[in-house]
Amino acid sequence: MNKIAAKLPSAGQDSFVRKYLMRWEAILFLILIIVNVFNAIISPYYNFTGILGATRDFMDKTFIVFPMAMVILIGEIDISVAATVALSSVMMGVTYNAGNGVPMVVAILIGIGTATLCGFINGLVLTKFKELSPMIVTLATQTMYRGLAYVILEDQAAGSFPGWFQYFGWGSIGPVPFILICFVVCAVIFTLIINKTKFGRRIYAIGNNREASRFSGIKVEKTRLIIYTLVGFMAGITAIFLTSRMSSTRPNIALMYELDIISMVVLGGISTSGGKGRISGAIISIFIVGLLKYGLGLVNISSQVLMIIIGLLLVISVMTPNVAGKFKEARRQRMLHDKLSIQQK
Amino acid sequence: MSEIVLELKGITKTFPGVKALDRVHFQLKSGQIHGLMGENGAGKSTFIKVITGVHREDEGEIYLDGKKIEIKNPKDAIALGIAAIYQHVTCFPDLSVTENIFMGHEELSKTGIIKWKNMHSKAEDLLKKLGSSLDPRTQMGALSVAQQQIIEIAKALSTNARIIIMDEPTAALTNRECEELYRITEQLRDEGKSIIFISHRFEDLYRICSHVTVFRDAKYIGDWPVAGLTNSQLINAMVGRELSEMYPPALSKPQPDKVFEVKNLSRTGYFANVSFDVKKGEIVSLTGLVGAGRSEVCQAIFGIDKYESGEIWLEDKKIEINDPKEAMGHGIGYLPEDRQKQGLLLAWSIEKNITLANLDLYGKGIFVDEEQESEVANRLAKLVNIKCQGVDDLASSLSGGNQQKIIVAKLLTSDLKLIIMDEPTKGVDVGAKHQIYQIMRELARDGYGILMVSSEMPEVLGMSDRVIVMHEGRITLITDANTTQEQLLEAAVTKKTEMRGE
Amino acid sequence: MTAKQDKSIVRSLSVARLRDIGLVLFIVILSIFIQFRNSQFLTISNLNNMLINACIMGILAVGMMMVIITGGIDLSIGSTLALSGMSAGLFVRDNPDAPVIIAVLIGIAVGMAAGFVNGLLVGKGGVLPLIATLGMMNVYRGLTYIIAGGAWVSAHQMNDGFKAISFYNILGINSMIWIAAIVFLIAYFFLNYTRTGRRVYAVGSNYEASQISGTNVDNIQILVYTIMGGVSGLSGILWVSRFASAQGDTAQGFEMNVIAACVLGGVSITGGSGKVPGVALGTLLLGILRNSLPLLKVSPFWQDAIYGVIIMIAIIVNVMVKRTVDKRNLQRRHI
Repeated sequence: MNKIAAKLPSAGQDSFVRKYLMRWEAILFLILIIVNVFNAIISPYYNFTGILGATRDFMDKTFIVFPMAMVILIGEIDISVAATVALSSVMMGVTYNAGNGVPMVVAILIGIGTATLCGFINGLVLTKFKELSPMIVTLATQTMYRGLAYVILEDQAAGSFPGWFQYFGWGSIGPVPFILICFVVCAVIFTLIINKTKFGRRIYAIGNNREASRFSGIKVEKTRLIIYTLVGFMAGITAIFLTSRMSSTRPNIALMYELDIISMVVLGGISTSGGKGRISGAIISIFIVGLLKYGLGLVNISSQVLMIIIGLLLVISVMTPNVAGKFKEARRQRMLHDKLSIQQK
Repeated sequence: MSEIVLELKGITKTFPGVKALDRVHFQLKSGQIHGLMGENGAGKSTFIKVITGVHREDEGEIYLDGKKIEIKNPKDAIALGIAAIYQHVTCFPDLSVTENIFMGHEELSKTGIIKWKNMHSKAEDLLKKLGSSLDPRTQMGALSVAQQQIIEIAKALSTNARIIIMDEPTAALTNRECEELYRITEQLRDEGKSIIFISHRFEDLYRICSHVTVFRDAKYIGDWPVAGLTNSQLINAMVGRELSEMYPPALSKPQPDKVFEVKNLSRTGYFANVSFDVKKGEIVSLTGLVGAGRSEVCQAIFGIDKYESGEIWLEDKKIEINDPKEAMGHGIGYLPEDRQKQGLLLAWSIEKNITLANLDLYGKGIFVDEEQESEVANRLAKLVNIKCQGVDDLASSLSGGNQQKIIVAKLLTSDLKLIIMDEPTKGVDVGAKHQIYQIMRELARDGYGILMVSSEMPEVLGMSDRVIVMHEGRITLITDANTTQEQLLEAAVTKKTEMRGE
Repeated sequence: MTAKQDKSIVRSLSVARLRDIGLVLFIVILSIFIQFRNSQFLTISNLNNMLINACIMGILAVGMMMVIITGGIDLSIGSTLALSGMSAGLFVRDNPDAPVIIAVLIGIAVGMAAGFVNGLLVGKGGVLPLIATLGMMNVYRGLTYIIAGGAWVSAHQMNDGFKAISFYNILGINSMIWIAAIVFLIAYFFLNYTRTGRRVYAVGSNYEASQISGTNVDNIQILVYTIMGGVSGLSGILWVSRFASAQGDTAQGFEMNVIAACVLGGVSITGGSGKVPGVALGTLLLGILRNSLPLLKVSPFWQDAIYGVIIMIAIIVNVMVKRTVDKRNLQRRHI
């Protein structure tokens, strides 16, 4: 009895450490603090107002991080997001400039509609032809969507949007940029969906074991279709903010966004093999990547260095658990061996 | 004749959480076909992988021709003249027959160029020796399982193996194909090869083996000459108790009203004109060889794959089933054959596994009501008697039998009328088996109709009120429980073109 | 039983060839169509041009095929190409008197090093090929900008010897075509007649069985990514020499075209199968398309969209053919 009682608190402590301190999110949070301290050291101009303003520059793509997290949670990938943003933005620009006095609101709706349709097409192809790999399908649609943007706008730009449209990219409520507020709202909604709803539970289930999920009565294909469509929809939202910030659009807009987005999700600890990871990690990593970029920009370090850093971060964050796992397994084997040899003696 | 070629002493192998082999022994004599028997999960497959160097033993010694040896990897095993034909044929479907045969020991010219012509003709010779006229240039993936097995045997011969291990080679073969395999095996024996023949089919043993070793629950039970060994002695060794103790008696009689019926269910290439019924409180077994189409029928009933024609009736109501959710809504539950792949999310807790099948029950809106969820999970876990510290335990931390109970609990969250159990005791230890049988009896008493798919004849005979036998996609026999193993086996291997009974 | 087997062999052969034949037919019909619209198409000089332009894609597609056969993918090749092209270009700029071969070797070595790193990440690090090469794509692209210091290497900074790599004619045929032909031949020989080449197929066909049969799977993966890097390096040299400029954004997005060539050529994205002649056909088809757009007076901006649609159709037709074949096989099964 005494023994058990003595054991209990330590077991509790152990689980507290495991539950909160050893989590990937805690490590990410630490990295975030380090990034901030680092930024503050290298640049005298790094302050809170600056950070708030900087969110304008990197927040637009982060709307796609949430549905992309869902895609990766079910063990798949969508590479076509950047092209979807471009096509949506181009559609918005072209519709507004069509010359018949089309109101901007209609242009925005068409932009969002286009993006949603793009996502829906991805989902439709993937669910009707289950044999196809998401990577190859979205590679193909990426070429298609970006190609369509070029067909529509060639090497032109479309712009001269009404003044109020700038508000999305540049407006603020008090000191807080409008885009940051929208981001926070989305973050709350998606966190709730992923963590608390039946839909979220099913996403994790599919990522963990697709076949068992099917045998448990989950409509896997329907869920996939919803997720891909949602990716498209959020890409439309991104297109609005991005187009507003740039105040004009071109077919090569949002180039390579998919990499940043996938990096943020994966760096956030969401496993590419599906079923594992938390949305909170992805949210922290959004700020890590964004603030790192801002800080380096302050001291005139080129964006190319940042490209390298993000690429390395992506690869290393995926590799670390694997390599650590290998070490653990090797250690387990060694310990087992030692134990057995002791027994033999 | 009687010299010992291969001897293993005190082999132990542990995987995380499981002791797969516990100090087992084995002796193989030259020119012998030696049966290795045991139920699923007895450790046979792991044992083979130790001999062939896929796994290293944690403990124990291996002797070849009386000399102590170490088998560190598959290459060592091949060099020592040991070859294995695995249960799940480990072929390369995209490569040719020749390449599959010579994988790992291709013939090269001095400059390192593959000598395709030589290899093709050698492959052809090997196949001819085994009585097959296959073109060695054929892609492996285009062959039937039986043909692939012959290729695997040819592969073993091409490495000049002296010791050939066959892991459940007859599991997916038809009667005629089995005879062919027996003939080849005996031919190999007559040429002086020593063969370890793993199977859980008794007729394999009596037909070709001269000696048998039995494993049970990762332990060595004993070895005996086959001559003079009786069926019940063998079952006793494999199961660990008398048959009569193994199967709990029925708690009630089946009721007269049908709970479920299928009429002329067909799916091209898998099964045709399948008709049968299950009564309230009745346990019906669906048996036959692997590949006879039993699981396919059940999965069609559950909506995993679509059936093409035929009718499904549930309590006098004709129903359509398009996906598992609909099936569950109508009252049909399915306990899948592959527990870990189809039944469970191993990384999830017991509670979340139990509630996954019917998430809509917990909370009205889009959110999950976690209190209600844990209340239901706790109640059901207690009902089926899952041994755990709490429903927060991960499914992966439980034994096979307890994992199976999670799935039963999961089924019980739905309001079911028919429960389909596909190989419910596959890979669970003897004690848990007994408990699962007990649960089945209780479910039957509570009025559920139970359809059990099983390959284990003793289990079929011990548990069923009625037995349905399938062969190559068709029902060949429907009979009540007063039948014999011989009669069932005969129905399982005989082709029937017209239906009998009904 | 034997008679039935023989039939099934014939069938499986014809199914494997069906796609190639279909592709050839499609190319022929497309060519005839283009020829009718514009008689310039089937002229020696145009065909020569077309082939030259398809060479780089073909060389890369051969490397990509090997990667895909093992079940992987390499998205970093555009960046690797740029990085090695830039390295070689910078070397030529700074050492105008050095032998050209050194620049070529530098380019290939840089490419192989980049590929080797990808291979390590995939083989030893256990990173999904998609993620590993997506990350490294960024790294190599960033490095390209950094070593160039934001500048370009332009035509007048390159010596004639370097430019000649892609303009030299042997027996009246352009050197690029020769190089591509040699790469195709070596790849064909390697994949069909060497043990290691067959291992590439084995790993993609059945990963676990490869391990059981004693193949060092990690090393095969490292090998194919290194080869991929090597041919990317070679392509980088050819690219910089041909277009007489090395830029930071050279070949950005080119990996899509290369993967498209493989997919059209019948390389299965799940690994295990793919043949050199098929990839050659796939490259040819894309080359013809690109070449014919101006001839058909279609705006060049249509190119990507058309590529995208064609890849999509190709993969979907592939699935449909496979489904039909499977269904026919099921119907044949006697029950």
